[in-house]
Amino acid sequence: MEIKFKTLVAPEIKRGCLMGNMFNALGSLWKGMKITIYYLTHPSTVVTQQYPENRETLKMMDRFRAQLTMAHDENGHHTCTACGICDQNCPNGSINVVDRKNPITGKKELDRYIWRMDSCTFCNICVQVCPFGTLEMKGNFEASVYDRRLFVYTLNKYAGPDQKNLLKIENLDDRKKQMESRDIFGGPVPLSGQSIAGLEAGVFDQLRKTEEAATNG
Amino acid sequence: MNWEIKTVAMFASEALREGYLGAAGYIILGVVAIAGFLAVLGMVLIYAERKVAGHFQCRLGPMRVGWHGVLQTVADTIKLFLKEDIVPFQADKVLHILAPLFTLLGTLLVLAVVPFSPGMQVADVNIGVVYVTAVGGFGVLGILLGGWSSNNKWSLVGAMRAGAQIISYEVSATLALLVVVLFSGSLKLSDIILSQEQGWWIWRAPVVGLVGFVIFFIASTAEINRTPFDLPEGESELTAGFHTEYSGMRFAFFFLAEFINMFIISAIAATLYLGGWMPFHIGGLDGFNAVMDLLPPGAWFAGKTSFLIFVLMWFRWTFPRLRVDQLMRLEWKILLPIGFVNLIAAAFMVMFGWYYGN
Ligand code: SF4
Ligand code: SF4
Repeated sequence: MEIKFKTLVAPEIKRGCLMGNMFNALGSLWKGMKITIYYLTHPSTVVTQQYPENRETLKMMDRFRAQLTMAHDENGHHTCTACGICDQNCPNGSINVVDRKNPITGKKELDRYIWRMDSCTFCNICVQVCPFGTLEMKGNFEASVYDRRLFVYTLNKYAGPDQKNLLKIENLDDRKKQMESRDIFGGPVPLSGQSIAGLEAGVFDQLRKTEEAATNG
Repeated sequence: MNWEIKTVAMFASEALREGYLGAAGYIILGVVAIAGFLAVLGMVLIYAERKVAGHFQCRLGPMRVGWHGVLQTVADTIKLFLKEDIVPFQADKVLHILAPLFTLLGTLLVLAVVPFSPGMQVADVNIGVVYVTAVGGFGVLGILLGGWSSNNKWSLVGAMRAGAQIISYEVSATLALLVVVLFSGSLKLSDIILSQEQGWWIWRAPVVGLVGFVIFFIASTAEINRTPFDLPEGESELTAGFHTEYSGMRFAFFFLAEFINMFIISAIAATLYLGGWMPFHIGGLDGFNAVMDLLPPGAWFAGKTSFLIFVLMWFRWTFPRLRVDQLMRLEWKILLPIGFVNLIAAAFMVMFGWYYGN
């Protein structure tokens, strides 16, 4: 078999004459200078926020990614089916989807949705891969806490079937029975198998309140 | 109008007739004035630069210390005073300590001949222009010493780049200076200013003046290592270039020299091409000239110099940094030939008297 070689010619960089180049260069430099002087003379272009002075009025950008949340509808139902796609796709293993069998129907359902903020890079992959649109990134950026265990969140507010399956149940009381409450900082965490200890029960309520206020408002 | 040039050096030589004490007093006054001016100007310039830079980039700049951050540089200076001064292990200690002083010395010495206004100048040397170019060379000596003595690769590369760059661009800057020397027929800064009573050289010498001014401005921007020619520092590749290993007060000296140099080249460019403290005059229009004289010469000098400083800042926060080969190409293949042609053209123009107000 004959091997055909193709001659590759490096593309020649087009250079004009010296004077043309010089005036081109000066022209493009002037273009840049026009832009910067526009910024200087128009203080409205400033994007800096005077935080924390303007903490009350500060509006975070919609696309700012600071906290993963799970959307719950007005009845408090979420749409997570515990499929674990987000868990598998997270590049840092920041997500642990703990599933369980429903005690009555025997179907797979979400027990705990654990998200570790301390290892999350806010890449948004989890939000994008979820086939049910369950996850949401919120702009609540004031995330400092005094104990790193508080970076481990349980995102779902109840363990139980997802919205679709819950709505199949007509009786409201029966629905309620299927939803077992979950605490935001309660439960086992992927921290060498330890559970969060040393925090009083009342602390959770308090933290949850501030957390809810921050994520909803 | 008759301008009377008075300098501190003149007062000192007059006082010398009476005795040594008076002369010494004037000399001390001159030195203290320059030192105080240096410190205050440094702080003001750094604050201005940060503020202007902020707004050029859609930011606010310093906002916290004092009203709109006016005291920020004062706070920074205090911090630099209190910081530990580190001399790296196996560095050449003496040179390491001397280097920033050399750099600052060059700056200080030039400041002594800058004519602020007819009655405000420390010394009016009769070889002013030569003195400025010669003494300005101290700066590169300090940079080379600093880079060499730091015992650090980045410092050394930065210093060598600085050496190559400054020595190259000095040629163009000097050629551009000579144009004005040709036209005014004097090396003395005050004479050069007085020669512009009928108009500034930038427009009185058609085209040649403007080209000379542009070349001088570009070349001296490169000489003081300002962006877009800040290769010796080149944060992205050399950490901080020649002053990587400097901290505390010694770093502050380098920093201060850099900012004062910005003032100096603006002042020299204004003196040579824009008439220094000379108000805007058009030869023949006496009424117009009288109106222009209402503003004191000091204000004219301050206005011109601060405009040029602003342009330098504008350059810095707009243009990207050049590559080393582009830098050399710009000097040796573009600026230098143009500078030579410009100088020869200027010589002919002076010979035949082809300029305004002749
Ligand atoms: S944002 Fe990225 S890193 Fe964070 S939990 Fe989602 S997939 Fe993982
Ligand atoms: S959040 Fe979405 S992707 Fe993740 S387990 Fe639930 S349904 Fe699946």
